Amino acid sequence: MRILRFFITRIFLKRWILVLGMIILLFLANYLSFTAARSIISTFQGFQQIETLNQDGTFIANLDPDSKAEDETVNIDKTRKLYEYLHNNYTYALQADGFVTSLDNEHKMEVTFNYINEEAYKINQLRLSQGNHLNFIYQLNKDQIPVLVGAGLAKTYPVGSTIEIKDPVTQQLVNLNVQGVLKKNTYRSNFYAPNSKNYFNFSIFLPVNEEFIQSAGLDLHVNGLMDIALLDSNEEEAMNLKEYIQENLGMKFNFFTQQENVDYFEEYYIYSLKIICTITLLLLLIIVCLAIWNNLISIRLMIKDFTINLVVGLSYSKLRAIFYGYFGLLISITLALLFALIAFNRYGFWLGKANLLATYGIFGLISMDWIALLIVLFIDLIIAFTIVELTIKKIKRIPISVGVLN
Amino acid sequence: MTSIIKLDIRKKTFKKKGFSILHDFELEVEPGERLSIIGESGVGKTSLLNIMGLLDTHYQGCYKLFGSSVKDLSQNKLAEWRNKKIGFVLQESALINSLTIEDNIKLPLLYANNEKDRAVQDHFKRIIYKIGIEPILKKKPLECSGGQRSRAVFARAVMMNPQIILSDEPTASLDSKNKENIINLLFDMNKEFNTTVITVTHDLDLANRHERIITLERNE
Repeated sequence: MRILRFFITRIFLKRWILVLGMIILLFLANYLSFTAARSIISTFQGFQQIETLNQDGTFIANLDPDSKAEDETVNIDKTRKLYEYLHNNYTYALQADGFVTSLDNEHKMEVTFNYINEEAYKINQLRLSQGNHLNFIYQLNKDQIPVLVGAGLAKTYPVGSTIEIKDPVTQQLVNLNVQGVLKKNTYRSNFYAPNSKNYFNFSIFLPVNEEFIQSAGLDLHVNGLMDIALLDSNEEEAMNLKEYIQENLGMKFNFFTQQENVDYFEEYYIYSLKIICTITLLLLLIIVCLAIWNNLISIRLMIKDFTINLVVGLSYSKLRAIFYGYFGLLISITLALLFALIAFNRYGFWLGKANLLATYGIFGLISMDWIALLIVLFIDLIIAFTIVELTIKKIKRIPISVGVLN
Repeated sequence: MTSIIKLDIRKKTFKKKGFSILHDFELEVEPGERLSIIGESGVGKTSLLNIMGLLDTHYQGCYKLFGSSVKDLSQNKLAEWRNKKIGFVLQESALINSLTIEDNIKLPLLYANNEKDRAVQDHFKRIIYKIGIEPILKKKPLECSGGQRSRAVFARAVMMNPQIILSDEPTASLDSKNKENIINLLFDMNKEFNTTVITVTHDLDLANRHERIITLERNE
């Protein structure tokens, strides 16, 4: 430890510009690996979630990019009729979020309403930290509506409490009864971009039954349609619905089968993941080469210092340990910087009141951040091993000689 | 008397440069002996010093130091012996410029891990008093004169009270006063502690002040 401290403070830091250069290069390598690793983990999480819908007989609706619906062709009567048609002929999962409302809470965040029908609720298998699961049997104007709240609302609205609010989609004054609290960081991934997700820490999950749908406004009807999933269906039924929607609403929807979803994922996402990995590896390789070059320059500048130390009693095994200690310190510094950056980024969502991105975690970091950091640490160990072993090899190739000192 | 150094070198080859030196070279040195090695440039004087100082173990032949075959010693053992048993008196440039003179002198203590020992502290004080470098201890090498730097190099070499002092052109680039100073310090160590002194030099005056002179010749 004394020898390591001596080398760091008296030898390496005397060429601080090279140390700084090495920290910058390692930080770049860490940031790059972290971004790629987290993106892959997030995509994997998203894919796992989408997998629950990738079943035989399931068709997921998606608005065709060429669909040109005129405002006047879509009205509440037509959408009500559509949902009645859906109710009578199909089993479907509906989940619509993004309905923002103001509701007092200790974090002063806006609250998002998330409307979910029983089928979607069964598929999602939301996990609760407190209370009971939703029930879908209630009368809109008579009963309190059982709801689940996100972890960020649990203090203000504990289980059993009542929320009186004007519902954003029915525009009616409703009484919500908090039935349960969602586990922290419950999320939903985008069906078509699995690495992007919304967190429901500041959301209210409201159960949607047929009565509720018929009382809801156009917003929920159209919004719900965008990601609607037909269950236990077949291609013919999906085509029928597609034609029905096109005829009545003038909107062109595609209904993707399980195979099409898998194909899409493999074609588009797996391909993009491969590109991310390749670019990351190439950049990492360039950065590692620059780091090795930086270190070899340091060695050239410090060869006299190393030789004097070898002459008075330093051994190569101690020198190797010194370099591992030195790179251990540099990696710790760069990891701490990366950690601070991620934590600040996560904290930024709280500061910016981004209610669908604000998350809970140890020091603000969520599980995928920690896993990505572990991957970065592993990559760092490989980088350190490569640089140190090459450095020692290079130093050993230079014969220690008193002649070097004269 | 048992030899402290017993060298029997077949040859030392520089593969990259494509030549070899020290063909069938034999040498025995006794404890407390003062030996000088002279010869033209390139005959292998410094290489011989590197071998004797355990800095170079890549040669054909056998080297016994304190009765042990050097090739049987681990790298850590070699480093330990360089630290404790051998002192190198080099030219005045052989100091780390980013360290103070004091830190340069105390460098061997870092590896001996005994910097805080009372006896070591006393030994350090005795040396700097004897060598007369107290006023420059806190200075950096580049702030000192050549003579002062030479004395600092000498102080570092004797800091661990070595049994052998290997010196490579210790008086090169020094004026006559400083040259005399360093020679006296070397021989005082020899007299006081029976330290073996081996000096590589071009300077015949200096060589003649040793008990034995070895002349290395170029191999034809």
